[in-house]
Amino acid sequence: MTSAVDNSVALAPPKRRRVPVRRRIVPYVLIMPGMLLLAAMMVYPLIQTVVFSFAKVQLPTFRTSFIGLKNFTQIFGSDNLQPMLGRTLFWIVGTVVLRFILGFWAALTFNATVKGTIVLRILCILPWTVPSIASANLWRWLLQSDTGLIDQTLKVLGLPHLALNWLADPRTAMPVVMVAYSWAGFPFIMLLLLAGMQGIPKESYEAAKVDGANWWQLFRHITIPSLRGVIIVAILLEIISALNSFDMLYVLTTGGPGNSSQILSQFIYQTGFTSFNLGGASALSTLLLVVAFGIFLLYAVLNSRSTQREGRS
Amino acid sequence: MAILSTSHARRVAHHSVVWISGVTLAAFAVVPLLWGVSTSFKREADVYGFPPKWIPSPATLTNYLSVVRDPALVHEFVNTLIIAGTTTAIALVISILGGYGFSRYRFRGRDTLLWTVLLTQLFPRVVVIVPYFVILRNVQLINTYQGLVMVYLMVVFPVAIWMIKGFFDNLPKEIEEAAEMDGCSLLRILWSIIIPMSRPALAAVTMYSFILAYNEFLFALVFTNGLGKRPLSVGLAFFIDDTGVNWGELMAASLLMSLPAIVVFSLAQKLLVRGLSEGAVKG
Repeated sequence: MTSAVDNSVALAPPKRRRVPVRRRIVPYVLIMPGMLLLAAMMVYPLIQTVVFSFAKVQLPTFRTSFIGLKNFTQIFGSDNLQPMLGRTLFWIVGTVVLRFILGFWAALTFNATVKGTIVLRILCILPWTVPSIASANLWRWLLQSDTGLIDQTLKVLGLPHLALNWLADPRTAMPVVMVAYSWAGFPFIMLLLLAGMQGIPKESYEAAKVDGANWWQLFRHITIPSLRGVIIVAILLEIISALNSFDMLYVLTTGGPGNSSQILSQFIYQTGFTSFNLGGASALSTLLLVVAFGIFLLYAVLNSRSTQREGRS
Repeated sequence: MAILSTSHARRVAHHSVVWISGVTLAAFAVVPLLWGVSTSFKREADVYGFPPKWIPSPATLTNYLSVVRDPALVHEFVNTLIIAGTTTAIALVISILGGYGFSRYRFRGRDTLLWTVLLTQLFPRVVVIVPYFVILRNVQLINTYQGLVMVYLMVVFPVAIWMIKGFFDNLPKEIEEAAEMDGCSLLRILWSIIIPMSRPALAAVTMYSFILAYNEFLFALVFTNGLGKRPLSVGLAFFIDDTGVNWGELMAASLLMSLPAIVVFSLAQKLLVRGLSEGAVKG
């Protein structure tokens, strides 16, 4: 690190280091394009979001005038905000839980390495590989009222009273989109968990079995603790992706009927680009930014705790 | 003998539980796809038939033919190829340079920058949609290929640089050091040593980046208007003609769009999961 050391290296027959000054500049040159992109397309826009949230953005000139907290008071004063945040929370918790149940179930199933199940495993990965718009269309067709496969099958089974207009009924719209969304995402959780499970040494299971542990005890005291790190990462990724989700909701319900399946991301889009209230959309974005930041902090705390517990750095 | 047969019975029971559970999951996973496939081969008159038939008879290719011949869809597909292809090429160059810098050098601010890159990948995209709109308006790139490429770079590049850095970390340093001693320039080292050595990983990142841009919907929806520059993802969300939704054609188009993505993800599955999770787990 010190120049004295570098000089002695330079004087000695050249080993691995070249001219130190050059070596100090090279990495910055290498990362320069990426960092410029990051500054122009991420740091600057994020600052803009916060600035706009305190401004009125006039259309079509895009002139901004500072209006203080007006955007925020308007948002927090609206009757729609609280139910919308409630739906967002319901969406996040619901989709994360559903994806985890399915993903964990699949990982446990396919970790058992029973002959022939590899084919089933490959089939289970398929939903994750389909583009979100294509999955949304597949589910839109399945969920069609009366003519969709689900309603038709219910009628074949003699349960016509259960055949609902899933996407147009405020009671079912959000839950069915949650199922569709979990369908598309559970394989990723499965793959993450499977990768984690393969890292658990077989010996720990065998030792516990000798001691007479049943499968639940194995699961509770060996599988879960060993997967702690993977699970935390997966939950973080899933919460962010749930906060971010837009495509499926847009194609399947566009937040409707009424507002019954509208969540924060949808609301930002509508405020900004249907009502053209860019200041309001920015205020909502700032709110979302704060929420996301809170989640990162929580993750950082959890992560440092779990690494402390496991005793590695 | 008694012990042997109970353990055998247990094994059989265990195997059948695993099989039943696996079949249930696989059915859940493929039913929406299979029903789409089935519908895509049906004649328009059979699409709504009751009771539902899984095997179309007669099977027809009409839907696929009309999708492939639909000038709007073809145009949108070309748009997608141009936008996703350009994004991938630029993101790859930036990420190889940056990934190498982050992997091989220790410098001031390295960890902070690296984590900043990761954080941007994790931030909800909706948050920057208003400023992107204003920026693109100001430089007059709304509804252009360039505008979408600029935006998509930000979608693709953070993941790409993290994955590439991770792969470079695992490459042995000795060859580069030898080359450096022989007076090889840095670009030469990258071009003739690093890139050839990491070809499979780079192929995976290339395909993944391409598919990320290929699948993107929200930004494309906001930053394009009309048929001109909009990609296929937006096209398929508005695939409605005067008579309503033609489900056979919509399923055919959706499945055709899915095909490249399915192939890429299936081929590069292991590399992707490793790259994505390592990026989030390690520093």
